[in-house]
Amino acid sequence: MPDSQRRVHNRLAVLRAERGLSRKQLADKLGINYQTIGYIERGDYNPSLELALTIAELFRLPIEAIFSLTPMTPLSEEIFREPPTELR
Amino acid sequence: MSTTTTGRIEHLPRSRRRQLVAVALAGYPVAVAVVAALKHTSLNRWLILVVLLLLLLPPLVALTVSYRYARGRIDGRRARLDERDLSLRQQAYALSHRVLAVILIAATAVTEIYLTSGNTLRFDANTFWPVAAWVIVYLPALPSLMLAWIETDQPADA
Repeated sequence: MPDSQRRVHNRLAVLRAERGLSRKQLADKLGINYQTIGYIERGDYNPSLELALTIAELFRLPIEAIFSLTPMTPLSEEIFREPPTELR
Repeated sequence: MSTTTTGRIEHLPRSRRRQLVAVALAGYPVAVAVVAALKHTSLNRWLILVVLLLLLLPPLVALTVSYRYARGRIDGRRARLDERDLSLRQQAYALSHRVLAVILIAATAVTEIYLTSGNTLRFDANTFWPVAAWVIVYLPALPSLMLAWIETDQPADA
């Protein structure tokens, strides 16, 4: 990844583990090489918009639940986070 | 080359790949320079040939390994090149162009300094063949060398 490129954080490893998929299995579903999955998970490669959307479609999640420009918080923290006081 | 060897080459860490690329690029000019210097001594011609072959061995091995590392992706022979492979290939070609430009500019500058210092350059087989061999061997291999140089270590299998 070029140094000037901004890092895209992702939850790919967690989502893949949750679904019991190996890198190879996920890569086959996406039509890419299995090493690419590893590079994306490690943040060494930013997927194209097309690939990111395909991944989101595969996991049936909104793209922002998988990829973010800011470091991602653990999923459990997001699920159990208390709603803002004005919404209670 | 066996599948095991190919597999080992594909998983070479970047530090080792960079060492190989450095040896591949620097080894040949060093060998040519050493042999050119030895020609001016009283050393036996066969001994000079042996020295040349010994000096050429490391860059040739390094070149072969680096070429094998990237070959399928640079020439597009690998069955499936995904978007990362294509992006890496593009970066490797761009970097090899920059490296080639630096080499050509440096060679031109050195020649210019040599000539303006009152020396003459004789263009015969002795000067032509080392340059021709470099062009024939290194020019096609440069993108493979650059890909081996830039690619980060592969993530551990999971």
